[in-house]
Amino acid sequence: MNTKLKVSEISKIYPGCIANDKVSLEFGSGKIYALLGENGAGKSTLVKILSGVVKPDEGEVFLNDERIKLNSPLDAKKNNIGMVFQHFNLFETLSVFENLSIDSDIKDEDLRVLVNDILKKYNFKIDLDIPVLNLSAGQKQKVEIIRCLIRNPKVLIMDEPTSVLTEQETDDLFISLKQFSKDGILIIYITHKLKEVLLLCDEVAVMRKGKVVSVSNTIDEKIESLANKMVGENLNTIKKKINHFKNSEEILKISNLNFKSDDPYETNLNNLNLSLKKGECLGIAGISGNGQNELFQILSGEIITEGTSIMFRNKEIGKLNPRERREYLMAFSPEDRISQAAVPELKIYENVALNNFKSSNFFEKGLVNEKKIKEHSKKILSNFSVNTDNVELKSQFLSGGNLQKLIIGRELITSPELLVCFNPTWGLDVGAINYIHETLIQINEQGKSSILISTDNDELLKLSDRICVIYKGKLSKIMNADTVTAEKLGILMGGGSID
Amino acid sequence: MSFDLNFIGILIGAIMASSVPLILAASGELITERSGVLNLGVEGMMIIGAISGFALMVVTDNLFFAVVGSMLSGLILSFIFGLLTQSLLTNHVATGLALTIFGIGMSAMIGKNFVGIPGKEFPLLFLDLKESIPFLGPIFFGHSIILYFAFGLPFLTNYFLKKTKTGLIIRAVGDSPTSASNQGINVTLVRYSCILYGGAMCGLAGAYLSLIYTPQWIENMTGGRGWIALALVVFATWSPIKVLIGALIFGGITILQLHMQAVGLRIPVQLLSALPYIMTIIVLVVISRDSRKIKLNTPTSLGQIFYKEK
Repeated sequence: MNTKLKVSEISKIYPGCIANDKVSLEFGSGKIYALLGENGAGKSTLVKILSGVVKPDEGEVFLNDERIKLNSPLDAKKNNIGMVFQHFNLFETLSVFENLSIDSDIKDEDLRVLVNDILKKYNFKIDLDIPVLNLSAGQKQKVEIIRCLIRNPKVLIMDEPTSVLTEQETDDLFISLKQFSKDGILIIYITHKLKEVLLLCDEVAVMRKGKVVSVSNTIDEKIESLANKMVGENLNTIKKKINHFKNSEEILKISNLNFKSDDPYETNLNNLNLSLKKGECLGIAGISGNGQNELFQILSGEIITEGTSIMFRNKEIGKLNPRERREYLMAFSPEDRISQAAVPELKIYENVALNNFKSSNFFEKGLVNEKKIKEHSKKILSNFSVNTDNVELKSQFLSGGNLQKLIIGRELITSPELLVCFNPTWGLDVGAINYIHETLIQINEQGKSSILISTDNDELLKLSDRICVIYKGKLSKIMNADTVTAEKLGILMGGGSID
Repeated sequence: MSFDLNFIGILIGAIMASSVPLILAASGELITERSGVLNLGVEGMMIIGAISGFALMVVTDNLFFAVVGSMLSGLILSFIFGLLTQSLLTNHVATGLALTIFGIGMSAMIGKNFVGIPGKEFPLLFLDLKESIPFLGPIFFGHSIILYFAFGLPFLTNYFLKKTKTGLIIRAVGDSPTSASNQGINVTLVRYSCILYGGAMCGLAGAYLSLIYTPQWIENMTGGRGWIALALVVFATWSPIKVLIGALIFGGITILQLHMQAVGLRIPVQLLSALPYIMTIIVLVVISRDSRKIKLNTPTSLGQIFYKEK
């Protein structure tokens, strides 16, 4: 049976922001639809409305030409609209089966048969009787999908489904989604990743600032055309001029770095050697989990290893803690913005003060000088174009891109000689990525150095002067970036050699 | 020899009786906490249950009304807590503490006219069996109906939480109220129900004290049992069966150390009085060491205020 879903003139206004502005779209079964937009473009609000979590201020939803009311998640379920949220709606301490049975009217025995059929049909491998907290992100997502499939959905909405998945899991997901689509389920796929749209979807609707700005067939689109529609301006493709630093001063030298961890989930580092010149950007590529985390923590001083020599500006800093290293003009931007770089419950200006708590400016006789910190924070917000000027805002209300701008700004405003960043554009939208990239190029141009640890090869090739690959805790030979190609990186990342 | 054995039987019976209020209150609080609500008002609800049970007994001369009334009064007090924390979104900890202070003060005020009035005899079951069977008789027979109920309650609670749909829903709400709400579960309703149930059980625990255990009204007669019940729930890692074990150990050592004091052992009285607390914590910590189980049993959202997105 064919399914038609139509949203008509949907509007939703939050204080200070129009999340959806008269959004109208039509969908039909047998196709996969992309809903594309930057963070904050209104995609999530629209799907929350479709799943009954949020009520629209205006507008109507039609399923097969019949108007439906979506006042609660139950209404969405009754109308066979299934939804997999970006943040899973699972109960971590309950077993997989309990998670599935909780909102199902089917008897437990029958449900088990049904679920096993689904597992077999789509080749999912999940133990139904272990608690959800033992599952990987990809498996958790499958549980969410199964939960929808139990109800024979006509519509399946996926909200940014790949943000937590590995590449292999992403491939698996795409195979499943295509299969669902063949089985007649209408799929709406929300994303800000352009490649995924071209790979998976048949039609694409682009949203910007709460409005639908374009609807088209994906075969007529390219990455660039979609990116421009999404951001609303022509994006300059950034390309850095690669420099060869033969005669410049050496700013950082690490010799014979070894790290052995007691934690079986950590990677040991073996005999790492690297050096960095003034004004240079060194890129470190690798598949995540090959020692990047440990390397970052050793550079930042979160881990102190015995017997390691780290010479920074002609001084041995191997035994200094992160604060002391900052005083020697090093700066750090960790991978996990929420839990490592910032405290989400604290206000913006409080987070700004955090990496600077020794500064005599901010604290006098043990008291906080709020005025000075706030002035300083305002400067960061405007210099690094963070999308707010309210320093009292709790950091958790900033979007990923804005939070990252704040963190990078906080690190850079003290004009450090070296910035170490770890996946600085992870999970950000195109506009924010561009901004961060420009900033990183800028600091090199100002004669400051940077180390970029990243799992994104495009980013590394764009920004680095020299590149090496970390694999199982070992560094490859360090190569000039103009001699490196994505293929070479790929081989090295997989443990191969390229000579 | 048979005399000694019978004495031990009587001792065990006494231990069981002394642990009843703890089991009742802790089982009730356990359900409340499993739904993610931390109600620190247990002591307050217990003592209100104690005074209203006793007062109703005196006024109506009917033990059934007294027991039901005590449960209702605990329930009403917990409803206030629910109203504040679930509808007005106040902080669980502060509200619970206020509830306890309110309950203690209120009970003292109502209780003024009931001090010194003798209690009524509460019917005990199977008294003849208690007399005729040595050792086992005093353990299993000659108790009030509430004691039998209390000892069945942890097993019922365990079954309810693990095997029934409603139990599953309560655990789900305690795990993640947001997810539950997105699944169409009425989180506020579930939490209200669990709060009210907890209140009723605390009221019953209070009534057991003032009607059966020490049948009279004394100001502050719960004497911190509510706090012990709260601690039991946590140290038993939200497992009803371990709550029962903990309550028995606590009751047991309380009674035993009284006997030891009476015998006149050369151990400081203060140390003996502290013994039940210390031993209960040690035993419960030891039997609940499995960190994986702790993680699975702990209501993740405990004490968190939940509000629905509009």
